[in-house]
Formats: sequence, structure tokens, C-alpha cells
Amino acid sequence: MKKIVVFCLLIAALLLAACGGQPAAPQQDSGAALRVGWLGFPDTLNPAYAFLSESYTMFDLVYSTLMTEQLDGSYAGLLAESWSESDDGLVWTFTLRPNIKWHNGESLTAEQVAWNINAFITNSDGWVTNYGYIIGFVEARALDERSLEIELEYPISNMEFRVSFLYIVHPKDFEGFTTPEDLQNFSNFSPIGTGPFKISTLDKDRRVIILDANADYFDGQAKLGQLVYQTFDNSDALIQALKVGDVDFAAEVPTSAFKSVETFEGVTAVALSGRSLSQVILNSAPDGHDPTPNRNPAITDPAVRLAIATAINKKDLVDVVLQGQGLPGVGIVPPTLGGGFWFNSSLTDVSFNLAEASRILEEAGYVLDADGVRAKGGVRLEMRLQFPSDSSNYPRAADMIANWLKEIGIKATPSAVDPDSLVVATNPNADFDMVIWGWGSDPDPDFMLSVMTSEQYVEGGWNDSGYSNPEYDELFAEQQMTIDDTARQKIVWEMQEMLFNDRAYIVLWYDDVLQAYRSDRFTGFIEYPTGIDAFQSLMNVEPVK
Amino acid sequence: MSRRDTLLRKLLFSLLTIFVVLVINFMLFRVLPGDPVRSVIGRNVRISAEMQASLREQFGLDKPVFPDQFLATLGQWAGGNLGVSWSLRQPVAEVLMSKLGNTLLLIGLGQILAIFFGVLLGLFAGWKRKTSFDVGALTFSLIAWATPTFWLGIILLAAGSTWLGLPTGGIVSPQNVGKPLYTVLPDLARHLVLPTLTMTILYLGEYMLIMRSSILEVLSEDYILTAKAKGMSHWQVLWRHGLKNAMLPIVTMIALNLGFTVSGAIYIETVFSYDGLGKLFHTALIRQDYPLLQGAFLLLAVSVIVANMLADILYTYLDPRVKAN
Repeated sequence: MKKIVVFCLLIAALLLAACGGQPAAPQQDSGAALRVGWLGFPDTLNPAYAFLSESYTMFDLVYSTLMTEQLDGSYAGLLAESWSESDDGLVWTFTLRPNIKWHNGESLTAEQVAWNINAFITNSDGWVTNYGYIIGFVEARALDERSLEIELEYPISNMEFRVSFLYIVHPKDFEGFTTPEDLQNFSNFSPIGTGPFKISTLDKDRRVIILDANADYFDGQAKLGQLVYQTFDNSDALIQALKVGDVDFAAEVPTSAFKSVETFEGVTAVALSGRSLSQVILNSAPDGHDPTPNRNPAITDPAVRLAIATAINKKDLVDVVLQGQGLPGVGIVPPTLGGGFWFNSSLTDVSFNLAEASRILEEAGYVLDADGVRAKGGVRLEMRLQFPSDSSNYPRAADMIANWLKEIGIKATPSAVDPDSLVVATNPNADFDMVIWGWGSDPDPDFMLSVMTSEQYVEGGWNDSGYSNPEYDELFAEQQMTIDDTARQKIVWEMQEMLFNDRAYIVLWYDDVLQAYRSDRFTGFIEYPTGIDAFQSLMNVEPVK
Repeated sequence: MSRRDTLLRKLLFSLLTIFVVLVINFMLFRVLPGDPVRSVIGRNVRISAEMQASLREQFGLDKPVFPDQFLATLGQWAGGNLGVSWSLRQPVAEVLMSKLGNTLLLIGLGQILAIFFGVLLGLFAGWKRKTSFDVGALTFSLIAWATPTFWLGIILLAAGSTWLGLPTGGIVSPQNVGKPLYTVLPDLARHLVLPTLTMTILYLGEYMLIMRSSILEVLSEDYILTAKAKGMSHWQVLWRHGLKNAMLPIVTMIALNLGFTVSGAIYIETVFSYDGLGKLFHTALIRQDYPLLQGAFLLLAVSVIVANMLADILYTYLDPRVKAN
């Protein structure tokens, strides 16, 4: 019995000690360390093989690229001080800024940058995540200590954007690998870069990353002394941590919590237009596709598509599903790309009108059955409305859409499907009617537009609707080689219009990026489309005086 | 049959079970719908179909499951190698071991406390049957057992961080990472309070209920009456004759729980951002990372089998009838 009492007392003492202890004070001057809470952790810090967005957040802080996107969507030099392209558009010459230092104190040379580009080109099976950015590159050559040229196979319209994604690594870290597998198995958790921060601690088992400001950064030292990234596995805990001051910045605020975060004392919640969109994908696979599309044939009827588009109240979706934190969608290119330059603002969406939608179906010959579902020639308007099961927004959206469609005589059955199965169902199987899904776009429209090309409608390609239009494909190829921005814009706008009219996608909304920070402690955040934690913004953040 | 023979036979049988589990797991993951390469790379990156083919080849997925992939995997296992995780690009064994330490710390502590208090509560409730203590303990245990993990965790997290200033997540504070755990014990203890408390409350009810019904049964036995007749005190009867006999079902329960809890208390880990095995299993499944999945399920199978073997062995000491057989 005595032992039991002693044990109980011990436990009680331990609990008391734990509760009573003061939260340990941050290591350095607390004002200078920004503690960031986020919902993930980099899979690796090897730019050859990194898929999670958290890895790219780190790359932006640790590495530099030749160029970088600015607030207005245009590109400025980062490592590059100046750049030019030859008249035929086949050779780009970059001059590096003087006095750029690696984190280990060595100077960056044009030779090293050229080594990077050539490694991406010659070992593309190894540098898988860079492949999309170097298609059409032939070779890079260093001309002297500070300048290099990149030779291209054909003129590339979005060259500035492409090089803004090629992180320049120290050749010493990467030149020893002989096979793609060896290169990719390298975790690179102690990277040497030229970026504004350097990693001082990375503990993958505690999931904490601490970065110190790089005093030798070529663009001036960051105002913060330190960045501390701590991983949370659920957003409720992250928001609670922000509320009680365990973290200074929440990289992701769930839609459902945004309104309450706005009321926290000493906290500022930020909603900014991002680059993501969500859409209803309508099965558009060609009839001759192999395997034969399994769908309600009516989904390919333009009248049915128009009726569906007319029966969806996008403003309601934004208000209810996104709680107002987003914009109703129109075209496939989000309005933030290139500061709005690439977004076709002349497109007018069909207005929500259930009576009109019913009329369209009636006119097209779909007659109401006794059970309230329309049919034409034995084809009843009964369709699947699927969405990936890992989404918190889509179930609500699917219910709302199904209810509107019911009113016009279309019976849509919402169901959550495992995302892996949904990938295969859409491409290559073409076994679906309607699917709600979304994309995160690049800053350049090229990727979003490529999603609708026939070339991407192969196994492993990104075309999930099955849309195939030779005229569109031609325009796509043309915009890739049109160097003049205004001329390219015209093509990009035309492509958006084409897609809008064919309705392989009904774009539902463009969602905001939701973040929050302790404004009683830090100030100076700048609103970039990727978030106020873009590296340019973090460079400017400082403690409240 | 001697005890050594029994143990040897059990060991052999356990090894066979592990092998069968491995083979079944190998097939199970491969009949999952979806494409592992697509799951690994996610949806938001520009990996062309060509690059996916290159990765597929590297992972050996371009070859038939039988016999090529199966033989390759068997060969790897035979060499004691669990392979390299496709999504993390680190050796599977290394990843598993690093998370196992974290999980054992949390689960070990939580289970010890739950067992201790559960057994104690059950013992007294059974002893003091139909008193208000019994009713109170029973009600508390039933509620604790029925409470959803996630809900209890979030409530404790909100209350603990707001009123007691306890941390909202992690194993140690960021400034203490990289230091050996024994040098930062107070910080570690502060981080463990809430997850351990959640785990203790959740499992305590189960142990209490089983202990209570078990002790009730034992107390109605003739030998208890005999012990009382011999003039032993209440305590002596309960301690020497009651507890030991009533422990048998609890040992089985503990063995089963310990085996399965190595799979990680996934909800508790998620609520308290505690980086353990449960979370790792989940990620491996979402990203269809076959080598990691296979390694994780091997670990799970081994722990369940080992825990059961230990329970069997413990039985031979606790229960003379097992020894006699």
C-alpha cells in the first residue's frame, strides 16, 4: 500500500512540476526570432526530388534563383543583375551580381550556375522536379566569372518564369552522384545555398527547423535574426498555438476558423487572392478513347453543360463553402497570374437562373419524368458527382450543387472517392460524369493551359477531363514560343475563352490564401500571392518596437 | 513437454506468422487502387508523364508483381534490408526506428499510468461493490471509455494551453531540439502531460471495467472464503489471493493493447502534433509508399506477435494450471 501512495505522490509531483514550470524563453533575443507554425514538413531538401510545398518554402529561403517574381507579377533579377536574349530568342545571357557568397563563404561563379543548368539538362531522370522547367534547353556556358549564356532549342516565351524555379545548388554537394537513384536518395538536410537564411538546426524527428539570417546575403541582411518552423498535425492546435502565443505566425488558417481568428487579441488575420481554383470536371473524353468512356452520354451534350453551368450559384458557394474568402470562378487562369495580365477579364459568366436552366433542357428535348428527373430518348439525367475524400470543402459544395441540379431535373449523386482512385477514374479510365476537384496554378499560365491539351491526355498526364481539341493544342504550342508578351496574352485569352465555351471545366471559385500572425509582436509583412510568408516578405518582417 | 520446447515451438510459429503477414501485406498494398507514383508526387507539381515513367522504372513498378516485384522484395528482406522510402527517400528502417522511440515514450507512459490507475480503481470498485465509490468509478470508466479520442484531446489541449500554459504541440520546445532528451527533462515533461493524460483517461476505463468484473468473480471463489476464515485481514485477502488471480484477463488485455498501440495512437499523435508511428503509417498509406508501408506493417506484426508471446510466457508464471499443461 505504501508503494502505491508513493507512486501516486510521484505522479502528482511530476504533473505539478510540469504545469508549474515557466515556458522556456526563446533562445535568442525573442524579438528577432519569428516562430512559424505550419501543417507539414519538407519531404527532403533536395531540389531534385521534392514534392511537398514545405520543401519549396525552404528552398526559397536557403537557395536563390537567377530571377524572381515581383509583387506585380513581373520578373526581376535575383542572382542575375542583368539579362538579355538574342534576336532569334535562342540564346539568353545572364550577368550575375558581384560578390554573391555561398553560406560557406565561397564566392558564387557563373561556372557553378552553368554546372547546375547542365546537370538539370543532362541528368533529367535524376532532377525530376526540374524537368518541366528545362524542356527546350540545350546547354549552358559560362562566359567569364560573372556571366553565362543558356542556349535554347526554340524560343521560350516564359523563360523568366522558368529560371525563377531553378534553384542554384552548390555543385560540391551534388556532383558526386552517379545514378538518378543515388542523387534522389540524398536528403540534403544541411544545404549550402546563397539565400537570405541558412539552416542552423533541422531535426526531422522533432520536426523543427531553425534558420539564421545570412549576414552576407547579397541583397542585404533580413531584419529578423531567426526563423523557427514548428510542425502541427492539425489546424485546431495550430490556431490555439497562435492564440496563446506559442507561435507568431500560422502559415495556414482553415476557412472555418478564419472568422474567429480575426477576433483574437493581438492577432491579424490575412486573406489574400491566391493561385488556386476549384472546378467541376465534366467527362469530355473522345468517344473513341481507349478504354471506352463510361459515363452518362448526356454529359457531352452542350445544352446539358450550359444548363448545369446556369444552375450553379457560384456566389453562394463562395459565401457558404469558403465563408466569403474567395472569388467566384470563370476561366481556368486565376485572376492573380501576372498581376492579372493573363486572366481573360472579358469573359462574362452565365448568370445563375434555375428557370432558365430548366428552359434550356426543355428546349433541348429533355422531358420531365414523373419522378422529377428529365430524360431524352431513354437517357435519363442521372449522374455521379464525385469529389476527393481528403477535401473539407467539396462535400458541402457537392450537396449544394446536387440540390440546384435536382430543381432543374438532373439527379446528381454526390460521393466521396479516395483521391488515388479518382486519378485513375479520370485519366486514363474516363469513368466518371462529374468530379469536383482543384488545382494550384504556377505564376505563369502555361501549366494551367497545358492541363487541357491532348498531349497531357496520356497515362500519367495532367489532363483529367479528357478534353481534346486540335485547334486548342495548336494555340498552346504557339503561346509557348511567342516571346512578345502582348501577342502571347492575346493567344492565352483566346484559349481561356475556348475552354469557357466548351465547358470541360466549370470553374467554381478561386480561393484565398488564409494566414494569420501576432501583430502585437511583428510587423512588415508584404502580401504576395503565395502568402505573406514569401521570402521577400519575411526579409522585411521586424519585431514591433 | 519442457518449457524450453514450448518456447521454441512458439518462436517458430511466430516466425512463420510474420512471414505469412509479410506476404499478405505485399499483395494487399498492391491491390489498392491508384498509382503509387502519382500518390508519391502529389497533384500540385509538374512531373511529366515521361518523368513518372522513369520513376516507375526506378521503383520496379514497370515489372509484373509476380514474380519480379515479389522476388525482388523477398531478396531485399532476406538481406535484412527494408528498402528506401519512396516519398521520404530515407532508409525505411531508419525512419521507423526514429519514430518508434517517440511512440514508445508516449504509449509506454500512458499505458503504465492507465494500467496502474485502472487496475487500482477496478480492484477497489469490486471490493466495495454497490457503494457510491463503485458507482462513481463505474460511471467515470464508462464515460472515459466511450469518449472519442479526438474530442477529449482537443478539449484538454485548449484547456491546458490556456489555463496551465502547457505547450500546444511537439515533443520538446524548438530551442531544445537537437539536445539529448535527458538534458531537457522538464521541457519534455511539460510536452508529455496532455497527451499522456489523454491516453491514460482513454485506456483507464477499459482496464478498470475488466479488473472490476474479474475481481468480483474471484471474490466469490471458495478459497477467498477459506482465506477469510483463516483470519486474514481484508488487505491480505485482496492482495495475496484476489489480485493475483484476477490479473489473468488483464495480462491478456495489456498484451493485446501493447501490441496494437505500437501502431501509434494516431489520434493522440495528430491532436498533439506528436511525431510518432501512427502518423507515419497514415502518411505512408496516403502516399502509397510500398517500402514504408511494408516496413511499418512488419513492425506492427512483430510487435503484436512478440507481445502475445510475452503474455504466454507470463501466464506460465502467473497461472499454475498453464504450467501443469
